[in-house]
Formats: sequence, structure tokens, C-alpha cells
Amino acid sequence: MKAKLGVSALVVLFLAGVWLIAAPFAVGYQPRGAAYADATVNDLWVGGALAGVSFVAIVIYAADALRELAGRGKHVADG
Amino acid sequence: MIRKFVGAVAAALAFMAGLWLMIAPFALGTQPENADWTDPTTSEFFTGLGVAVVGLVGVAAFVAAIHEELVVRGLVAVRQKQAEPEPEPVAPAPQGSSAELASLLAPLVEALREDLNNTGRGDHRQNGKPALVGVEENR
Repeated sequence: MKAKLGVSALVVLFLAGVWLIAAPFAVGYQPRGAAYADATVNDLWVGGALAGVSFVAIVIYAADALRELAGRGKHVADG
Repeated sequence: MIRKFVGAVAAALAFMAGLWLMIAPFALGTQPENADWTDPTTSEFFTGLGVAVVGLVGVAAFVAAIHEELVVRGLVAVRQKQAEPEPEPVAPAPQGSSAELASLLAPLVEALREDLNNTGRGDHRQNGKPALVGVEENR
């Protein structure tokens, strides 16, 4: 139950990272065709890192859970 | 176990990223001093606030999950709260004690009343013996 809450937090963080990448263009403080402003560069880096780290963590969590499930299935099949 | 640890680390990194987002507009100088917050500042600050809060919740959840698993495996002993000593039950008051006392004292009271009645009639009691009160006074 607690781990599920943590995974939910990771999903929300991933979405927040995606939002940070899109925010300069969605909110409109990055003019189209102009050089990237400092705020835009900051948002892109932080948002990209946040989304990347969250995604990797979710993938590792899912992979480990699947490995555990596979191990249990193997034990059942052997028995 | 390792997946929860990875999740906790990721959530901790996200928490720090959220804190950075909150101060970034002021640290990078994109927010002019003594001016209303610009759109980038508002967006970054509140996004950072949300990221920090969610990251903190994630860290707490994963750490609690790790602790729970360690307890299940028997690697961590849960400290038991010391039970408060229960107050000793008070012995119930003996029932009918006043009634027993009254029944014990009844003959005495009756004798005293009889004595007082007889004192007004004479110095001697009806059975010929001197009154007890008088005897006490003569000592």
C-alpha cells in the first residue's frame, strides 16, 4: 500500500516533468522563433531530468516486480 | 527491496529539483526585483512547490515501505510500547457495614436512653442497682 503511494508519486512527478518541458510554450513566455530565454532553458533541463529520473524509476520498479512474479511462477511450476 | 530504494532516491532527487525550481527565478535573475511576479516565475514557483511536496510524499512512502519489508523479514525489531501499569482495582466497600454497626450499637443506645429516663425519676435504677452515670460521677 505504501509502495503504491510511492509509485503514484513517481507517476505524478513524471507528469510534472513533462509539464515543465511544455510550460514555456504553453504559458507563452518563450516567444516562437526567438532564442531560448533563461527560464525556458532552466525549465527544459529540470523538467527533462525530472521526467527522465521518474520514468527510469518506474521502469526499474515494474521490472523488479515482474522479475519477482516470474520467480514465483517458476516455483509454482517446479512444485 | 531494491526497487523501493530506487523509488526513494528518485523521489528525493525530485524533491531537490522542486526546491530548485522555487528559487530558480530569483537565483537566475529572471524575476526583476521589486516587481510583480512574471509568468515564468509564477509557473516555476508553483510547479516547484508541487514537485517538492509530491517528492517528499514519495520519499516518505518508499521509506515506510522499506521499513515495513525489513520488519516482515525480521531484520528490524519493532519497539513495543511499554504498557502503562493498570491502576489496582479498589476493593469495594463492605456492604452493610453501617447496618451492622447500627445493630451492634442498638443495645447500647437503648441502655443509654433507659438510663437517661431513669435518672429523672430517681437516683436508683429499677433493678435496685445504682445508675451508671451516678457511679461515674462519684469516682
